[in-house]
Amino acid sequence: MEILVIQVLNSLFYAAVLFLIAAGLSLIFGVMGIVNMAHGSFYALGAYVTAWSVAAAAAVIPPAALFIFLPLGAIAAAVIGMAIEPSLLRRFYRRPEEYQLLVTFGLLLVLEDTIRLVWGGTPRTASGLVDSLGLLQIGGLPYPVYNLAMIGVGIAAALGLWAFVYRTKFGVLLRATAQDRRMAAALGIDVGRIYSLAFGLGCFMAGLAGAIVVPSQAAVLGMGVEVIVLSFVVVVIGGLGSLEGALVGALIVSALRTITIQFWEEIELAALYLIAAIVLLILPTGLFGKKA
Amino acid sequence: MDKDEIQQERRGFLKQFGATMGAAGLGAAGLGVAGSRPVHAAAPKGSIPNRPVKVGHITFLTGAAELLGGPGQRGHILAQEEINAQGGLLGKRKIETIFADEAAGTDSNVKELRRMKLSEKIDLFTGVISSGNTPALGPVAEELRVLTLFNDGCTDFLFDKAVPNPKYTFRATNIQSADGVTAAIGAATHWPKVRRIASIQPDYSYGRNVFEHAALALGKMLGGIEVVSESWPKLGTTDFTSHITKILSAKPDLLLVGVWGGDYVAFYKQALRYGLFDKMKVATTLAFGGYPHAIGKDHPEGVLAGVHANYHFLYPSAERWPINKSFVERYHKRWNEYPSFEADGAYTSLYLYKQAVEKANQLVGGWPEDEAIITMLEGAGIDSPAGYLYIRADNHQGYKDAVTGLSKNLPGYDFPVWDPASVVSIPIRSITAPPNWPKPGQGHNESTAAADWIKKTWPQAKA
Repeated sequence: MEILVIQVLNSLFYAAVLFLIAAGLSLIFGVMGIVNMAHGSFYALGAYVTAWSVAAAAAVIPPAALFIFLPLGAIAAAVIGMAIEPSLLRRFYRRPEEYQLLVTFGLLLVLEDTIRLVWGGTPRTASGLVDSLGLLQIGGLPYPVYNLAMIGVGIAAALGLWAFVYRTKFGVLLRATAQDRRMAAALGIDVGRIYSLAFGLGCFMAGLAGAIVVPSQAAVLGMGVEVIVLSFVVVVIGGLGSLEGALVGALIVSALRTITIQFWEEIELAALYLIAAIVLLILPTGLFGKKA
Repeated sequence: MDKDEIQQERRGFLKQFGATMGAAGLGAAGLGVAGSRPVHAAAPKGSIPNRPVKVGHITFLTGAAELLGGPGQRGHILAQEEINAQGGLLGKRKIETIFADEAAGTDSNVKELRRMKLSEKIDLFTGVISSGNTPALGPVAEELRVLTLFNDGCTDFLFDKAVPNPKYTFRATNIQSADGVTAAIGAATHWPKVRRIASIQPDYSYGRNVFEHAALALGKMLGGIEVVSESWPKLGTTDFTSHITKILSAKPDLLLVGVWGGDYVAFYKQALRYGLFDKMKVATTLAFGGYPHAIGKDHPEGVLAGVHANYHFLYPSAERWPINKSFVERYHKRWNEYPSFEADGAYTSLYLYKQAVEKANQLVGGWPEDEAIITMLEGAGIDSPAGYLYIRADNHQGYKDAVTGLSKNLPGYDFPVWDPASVVSIPIRSITAPPNWPKPGQGHNESTAAADWIKKTWPQAKA
């Protein structure tokens, strides 16, 4: 029984991380129509910045107060994203998809090497944050309170993003731009600014995912590449461009992953790709994708 | 089983393999050449051209495996700088190295080796860490006739099947099956009571090889073991919480861990908070496989912390093996960190080449042909930082005594090292198939010659 409870919590924690990444990926596609291969690198960037700042501050600040550095990774990812969008990516929106894939893949390689150049190959950690919140006993097995808190952060981020897109003026402008860029521009919306902010928001979500993961795991080279593959599975299932899709897709992928790991690990990836393939066959735009 | 019985059983295992425990037993086998490198032999014979020797070196420079590849590259550079500072090979030919990133993938590595040989005209190819890559690169090296000294990529498959009759291809670090067997002997020696075994291994040839040989050896030594849980995360996994919970649910006495590099760092951090280390003994093959400071002081003590059955920088100890002390000092001075087994492997490979070139030169004069260098490499022995290393002529594979030990935080290091009293050193011939043992397909269908040899020759303990 306690194993079941812990596995459900494991699955929800992983789903929270996947949702944050996939939601950003989906948002960027929904507004700008580009598939950002480098999205995982913003996740890695968030992890490294958080780990680095927590480690730097750990000597002078009590562990519990270190949580103020958690959002720093997300903010750093957003700032860098908002610098890259107008300077590099904007030139490629009108080009065919293969150019966009090439340039964002190139960006992935550049960001990966930049991370290595700045922080080196040593894994970075921020385990102090996990330890400061202590452990919960679930039927005699310890479970970190930190992980529970981060499931909460995931839920809060999902609600916050939903409210932002559907309940604010900026959200209206964002959706208008996503629906018809020319019409939005004709109505006087500063489309360039919307693009930068949307890209920044997407990167913020990815950076936040990296920031909440790093205290419980570690920031390692290549982490962004590993996670982007599963994030694509999430958006394929949920529907590229849909926030609800990212949420449902993340829950499905994470639950399926946990179930296969517990019972029949050899089929973990095969099962995930199989589900993605079935969804594509029956609903080519995903569960929540807009019909073409 | 009381304490005396455990002591007795432990002594039994050590005796069975001629192994030793504790720092005192280390560094016994060797030629006993003391002092710092290099010991100059005779003056070079004949006229030596002064154009550089070109070396190609592929290793992981990016990704989670940089943890292993980085020290390999630094070990290579250290050897290169030392040799060049003395005027180069045979006092004339400086070494120039072209590096490439192994993380580019197997196909790219094969293309890069071809490019290095055909357009850069390399004289020697070295490096390579992944067991997925050496079986692809070995046949190409033979076809291109480029002298190759792999530093790792130690799968038995390379010389069992991919290149069964190597001419140009050699490998300087211990064979892979020895890794799982070393972890098994370390675990059985320290914890002879374990019977319920769980395993978590990366899902590719390395993890499969470790699990197969470790389980086989444990079964032979302990008798009546039961594998209660298997986990196969793919390489590059960082979220291990579901795997850890699954392992806890199986309630094993012993967990075999072959997860390595950045993956291992993420694994132990999560396992620690999930209380895994309190509930079972843990035996790893590569916990101390990356650069030493990659593992934090929060790493639990008393974990069998493997070094790929190759080398830990504190062993053989300074008193017994001055070559190692001097190597560690020079490496630390150059790179401001301590060397790993990959650093030793890459460093020793280049010196092995130097030694073969010098010996061949003494025989034939001038710059020796590859054939003459190969003859000198076959059966060669060298006093390496890790102890005495020899290259068997029948399979071109390097052999040196295997080591492992229990993790402990000692003063003087800001990362965990081995508890000196716990270090197990095993003569390599006790855990590897002897020369000319039938390869897979020659009268048996085991995955490796080693597996067949263990099954047929090791005594079976009663349950």
